[in-house]
Amino acid sequence: MEEKPSKASGESLVHHGSEESHQQSDIRKLWTTATLSQMNLNLPLSKVEEWSDTDGSSFCHQKSGVDPGDNNFKQELDEHTLSKLELHRGRSLGSNLEERESRTEAEKSSSMSSLSILKQTPHRAYWAEQQNRLPLPLTELMENEAVEILTKALQSYRSGIGKDHFLTKQLQRSIEGLKKRRNKRLHVS
Amino acid sequence: MKLKQGSFLWYLYLDKIYCLLSVRNVKALMEYFQLLDVHRKNTLNDVLFFHFLHHVTNLNRPQIMIIFDMLDWNAVGEIGFDQFYMLVCILLSHQNHLEEQFIYRHSRPVFELLDLDGDLRISLDDLKLYNFLFNIKKQELKELYHNFDITGDHRLNYKEFKLFTLFSIDKYQERQKAEKKKQHLLNKTVSKQGALFQSPPVLT
Repeated sequence: MEEKPSKASGESLVHHGSEESHQQSDIRKLWTTATLSQMNLNLPLSKVEEWSDTDGSSFCHQKSGVDPGDNNFKQELDEHTLSKLELHRGRSLGSNLEERESRTEAEKSSSMSSLSILKQTPHRAYWAEQQNRLPLPLTELMENEAVEILTKALQSYRSGIGKDHFLTKQLQRSIEGLKKRRNKRLHVS
Repeated sequence: MKLKQGSFLWYLYLDKIYCLLSVRNVKALMEYFQLLDVHRKNTLNDVLFFHFLHHVTNLNRPQIMIIFDMLDWNAVGEIGFDQFYMLVCILLSHQNHLEEQFIYRHSRPVFELLDLDGDLRISLDDLKLYNFLFNIKKQELKELYHNFDITGDHRLNYKEFKLFTLFSIDKYQERQKAEKKKQHLLNKTVSKQGALFQSPPVLT
């Protein structure tokens, strides 16, 4: 019902707050969570209104305290009390309509504000990347080149000092670490 | 000497006046250096250095080892980031034809690099050894020692070397001006010709 849009906005707010505390975390997480939270908000507003409609109708029935299907009960009542009840029901319906409208407007505004927050979120991620980190394409180029250079150096190490030397093993571990980072980045993208 | 197209260094650039990297470029270079520094000593040994230069340039093994010996000024068998940065600036100045500008702006560090034995003098043989890096032509080398060896000891001290850098930068700037004039004249003639073709002939 109305939980989903507010939950999405809550998530975006939490995400917005978490950015400040996790400034040093991988910039790629900022991008992926921004797109993930955006997916939840890809709801047409008509659906939001549908959920609020169902809410309103059930609320209407609860407020009037009358089960419209209960015909026996209606027959026992006077015409006066019936007309009074109908008036009361009409007023409650009207007020519920107003409440429903205001609620949908509030939901719309909350969804718009969360959308605007989401619009800002990728920009924050972009600027954080620009100021704190190197651009990803450059990092990728550097890592790929480093892997190629170190792989050739590994062959020289093996032929010069042997496979079992601790420097050769250290170099091998570095190459494996770089390759893992590269594969992780490819999976994330 | 040429940098490999598409390599990481190829995307860096020097400031044309001071012939140094910007802070952003230095930051990128530091990250790159740390990737190559697999032993976590803030240095590159001769093997890593060789494979790095061999990968990013077209230099052969003897030339690479000459550069290594030049940069290893403490004779520890390893290159630190300071020396690595110096090397990258030299490579980029060569790539972008800014050798004269670089030598003029950084005459003292270049002199100290070329002074292999530390006697505060540079011989002709020393300069010939590093000619592939600084792109000083053979004829210019002869002129250099003929015109600027004021003391007559067939070697250049720092003051004589500085005079040479001033002379070569003047020549470089004159060359640049002449090229600009040529280009300007060429553009003028081309635009004139274009205007002639476009305007319709006047019938009398």
